[in-house]
Amino acid sequence: MTARRTVAGRIAARLGTSLLVLWGAVTVAFAALHLTPGDVADVLIGDSTVTPEVRAQIVREYGLDRPVPVQYLTYLGRVLHGDLGRSYQLHESVGEAIGSQIGPSIQLALTAFALAATVSVTVATLTAKRRRWVRGLFSGLELVGVSVPSFWAGILLLTLFSFTLGLFPVTGGLALPAVALAVPVIAVLTQVLREGLEIALDEPFVLTARSRGMGDLAVRVRHALRHALLPTVTLAGWLVGVLFGGAVIVEQVFSRPGIGRLTLAAVAGKDLPVVMGVVLVSAALYVVVNILLDVLYVVIDPRLRSAS
Amino acid sequence: MHNRSPLGLVIPVAGLLALSACGGTQAARAPQGGAPVKGGTLTFAVNTEPTCLDPHQSPQDVTGLFTRPALDSLVALDAKGTIHPWLATSWKVSGDQKSYTFTLRQGVKFSDGTPFDAAAVKANLDHIVAPATKSQLAASYIEPYTGSDVIDDHTVRVNFSRPYSPFLSALATAYFGMESPASLKQPQDALCKQVVGSGPFVIDAWTPKQGITFHRNRGYNWAPANAAHNGEAYADKLVIKVITENSVRLGALTSGQVDAIASVPPVNVRQVKADPGLAVDVRQAPGGNYNYYPNTASGVFTDRRVRQAFRDGIDFATIVKNLYFGAYQPASSPVSPSTTGYDKGTETQWRYDPAEAGRLLDEAGWTGRDSEGYRTKDGRRLTVRWPFYKAAARENRDTLTEQVQAEAKKIGVDVDVTNPPSIGDFVTAFTKGDYDLVDFSWQRADGDALRNLFSSASISTPTRFGQNAARYSDKEVDGWLSDALDTTDLGRRAELYAKVQHKVTDEAAVFPVYVFNYLLGESKRVHGIGWEPQAYPTFYDAWVVQG
Amino acid sequence: MTAVAIRPRRIPRAGVWAASLFVAVVALAALLPAVLAHGSPSDVDAVAALRPPGAAHLLGTDANGRDVLTRIVYGARPSVLAGLGATALAVAAGTVLGLLAALGGRVLDEVTMRLVDVLLALPGLLLALLVIAVVGPGTFNAILAIAAYTLPSYARLVRAQTLVIRRSGYVEAATSLGLTRGRIVLRHVLPNAFAPLLVVATIEVGTALVAAASLSFLGLGPRPPAPEWGAMLSQGRDYFSVAWWMAIFPGLAITLTVLSVTVVGRHLQRRVEGRLA
Repeated sequence: MTARRTVAGRIAARLGTSLLVLWGAVTVAFAALHLTPGDVADVLIGDSTVTPEVRAQIVREYGLDRPVPVQYLTYLGRVLHGDLGRSYQLHESVGEAIGSQIGPSIQLALTAFALAATVSVTVATLTAKRRRWVRGLFSGLELVGVSVPSFWAGILLLTLFSFTLGLFPVTGGLALPAVALAVPVIAVLTQVLREGLEIALDEPFVLTARSRGMGDLAVRVRHALRHALLPTVTLAGWLVGVLFGGAVIVEQVFSRPGIGRLTLAAVAGKDLPVVMGVVLVSAALYVVVNILLDVLYVVIDPRLRSAS
Repeated sequence: MHNRSPLGLVIPVAGLLALSACGGTQAARAPQGGAPVKGGTLTFAVNTEPTCLDPHQSPQDVTGLFTRPALDSLVALDAKGTIHPWLATSWKVSGDQKSYTFTLRQGVKFSDGTPFDAAAVKANLDHIVAPATKSQLAASYIEPYTGSDVIDDHTVRVNFSRPYSPFLSALATAYFGMESPASLKQPQDALCKQVVGSGPFVIDAWTPKQGITFHRNRGYNWAPANAAHNGEAYADKLVIKVITENSVRLGALTSGQVDAIASVPPVNVRQVKADPGLAVDVRQAPGGNYNYYPNTASGVFTDRRVRQAFRDGIDFATIVKNLYFGAYQPASSPVSPSTTGYDKGTETQWRYDPAEAGRLLDEAGWTGRDSEGYRTKDGRRLTVRWPFYKAAARENRDTLTEQVQAEAKKIGVDVDVTNPPSIGDFVTAFTKGDYDLVDFSWQRADGDALRNLFSSASISTPTRFGQNAARYSDKEVDGWLSDALDTTDLGRRAELYAKVQHKVTDEAAVFPVYVFNYLLGESKRVHGIGWEPQAYPTFYDAWVVQG
Repeated sequence: MTAVAIRPRRIPRAGVWAASLFVAVVALAALLPAVLAHGSPSDVDAVAALRPPGAAHLLGTDANGRDVLTRIVYGARPSVLAGLGATALAVAAGTVLGLLAALGGRVLDEVTMRLVDVLLALPGLLLALLVIAVVGPGTFNAILAIAAYTLPSYARLVRAQTLVIRRSGYVEAATSLGLTRGRIVLRHVLPNAFAPLLVVATIEVGTALVAAASLSFLGLGPRPPAPEWGAMLSQGRDYFSVAWWMAIFPGLAITLTVLSVTVVGRHLQRRVEGRLA
């Protein structure tokens, strides 16, 4: 009963925060539009050319002839209706532009995440509380992992595995871009997981399990790992940021299609509607990922489950 | 923003900056490598992509490349400048040279089933010049167009307000590709995403940042008269992939992932040639070379002596040879040797001569020196302001810029390369003439390119865009260029264009840098890739040996 | 980017020494490049283009015949400055926001912290790209863009520290002594929040450095011929198959600098936290 209320309360709080994040993202986008030097209609048009009729239509749709608060509400209303505006350079709506590019990016991000999760869990489980040199070696590798810029890592991977060894396709392959994107995630995730594991391995229930004759690996996987996974949930926001922001660079290095390339082209061409749209979509993704992880949290956390 | 005029200025920015090569004007090569094989998929990788697929609207030559497989033109142009029949079987020019009457091929159908007829030709030409189309290039190619008359189903007359000799060669470009009249009724934005033509291939889908795919047009038998074969295309499917990274595109070719690539990086030409399975096909691009244009109307370069000193005091030829490993040749004329009317005389008209450059600068009064070693006059440094839009720079032009900057310093000229943050800022500076030097290349097969580059009517104003970046204005040159429009006699036109080249070279109104070559890398499995003006390679005659 | 608290592991003494030494070398390069490299980073010599590493040019030459080592040495200043500048800006702005939230009353606290939540929700590099779309590319704008997305973690930290100090009692004591709010903040709150802030900033300089190099790599930071590591690497890509040194060494410079800064930062963090504990 109490637990259920806790869960409900958590979900309510999470929804509240989610709405706030979305509203904030809309506000940030709106502010960006008005902070850009120049007439707002011209900023929306960017470096393309439109007929006076189209321009008049923009003024009407965004309410640009009305006071700023009204413009803000108009914009908020449009976004609530799922209308992210139109790119005058791409000759299509921002929704269409993002829709046609988001598939490859999500595929890349999910692959990188799956890779990072697998590698991190494996390495952390095998190295926690091991001999000093083992942990030292992997800590060193993790430090290098967080320090290597992903564009450099990407170029090195491409040169070594595609150009020189011919092991992976030069273009269109998913493995190398995913590795390049996953490197910093693996580095951080492994550290957090290992730390969680080391704390968990000192807990009484681990001793109990061991005293019952449970093997070392089984103790680690069945008991300690679940506890160690909990703190990683707080990493969700960071994770979305790294995977999505990193995709901008990785897509560029590997000439992959996706949101990153779309965004870069939009920044270079001053196509603000697209940049704003990408910011809004990424905020929405952040929210979705957080809610999913909350559900996962309930699944993982034995206390929450057993109580219900 | 600041660069838009109330008149709705149409700016062919991409035309200026994004125009890449358009290949030599040679038609398809004779079949080689055995008998053509039907079937299979041909995959070609390019470095850039269109912003709009409709060639009537877009000025980018990559638009021509993307749509040529699906769009046929009325006529075709070959390397010698000869016009061949295509969708038009014959044509007649009126005595006053103001109207062209075309007899059209019968039995041609667009891929949506619409028949091709005189009304379709009229619909296409009218669409190009319609203000709503906002054509950034094609409309300017038929600027004196007044309208078309449908005489019968298969005869159409095209009328001009004055004699206009470059019409047929313009008509041969992909920008005049015939689209289905039914599809032309769509809004412009929809046309930017999908075009329907009568070509040997039909577009399946275009996905920006990825590429475009085609399938063979069954029943096609109206190839241009200068093609290597008639009937259906050999390849079942044609795929054009966008791979922007030079190293990745090259890697895709060397690893066999694609059959051919555009723009082999010059630095890798030797490597590709050394590969027994690969070849490099080099085509010299016609039209304006990659040139630097001094602003002759205001600033330091109004003085002819300063212009000449800059051109002759910098060893452009050596820089180009070193930077491009011989893949591009140093230029001497504003237009490339493959342009109709190229003047070979320009090759000996000027040369690298730093001593003379120094003398000219002294004579022009730039005799002082400041603490950094730059020349000064009345305490003012000899500074050349150069807005260089790096994001649009191709072929390591930024590296070239740095070398020119360093060379200029040796003769005491301070080259101040400013990087406009966006293309809009660049265009603003360009149309206002707020620069001392700008750089661009602009390919076009016809010598009439010189009119765009040097006619006083082609100087940009805040309301009209023109390619005369030197802002050069000379009555004699204007006269020759206008005379050339009145005659279809190739010899007479060449004579007039040679005079123009000689005079602008004499006045140092242009600093020629290099002749652009289209460097196509291909696997030896691929045969029969053809070339056409403006639009780079063509794939109608191409086939891939499988396995 | 890593707004993640990780308990630092002890780093071997030799590692800390090596990292400190490297940081010192980079600092020297940034301050007095002429001491470490001979020649100018912009001297073009077309004849000497694309020379491999050797006796005359330890790290080879680039497409313009410029010495890669010289350019890396001279590149230290713009590269490091971007990281430091962005961090300094973010620390300053984050401190102001954090203090406002902690001391400015409930409403201000809510507003500021929710704003920080929103900024944290947006992927860092995308936020930076939005800033650049608004203000345009360039050296200073890149610094601004990176500061915009590293700022939230500092704001949170300062707020948390300030609240701890406020509750600790000596601020009440100071208030009862009649000190003004401003004086209390300056004299008591800031100095106590400073040490942890400095530690986090040291580690985050590495993040900011990578971010700045990333923006230059994407062509949105300082422009060539400025010898900036990210821009050098980007230029080197086109020549990779014939002149690997053009891209490899600038990348190595970035990686080693970030690695060293992180090692030194984590070492400091351990010591400071040990002292505080």
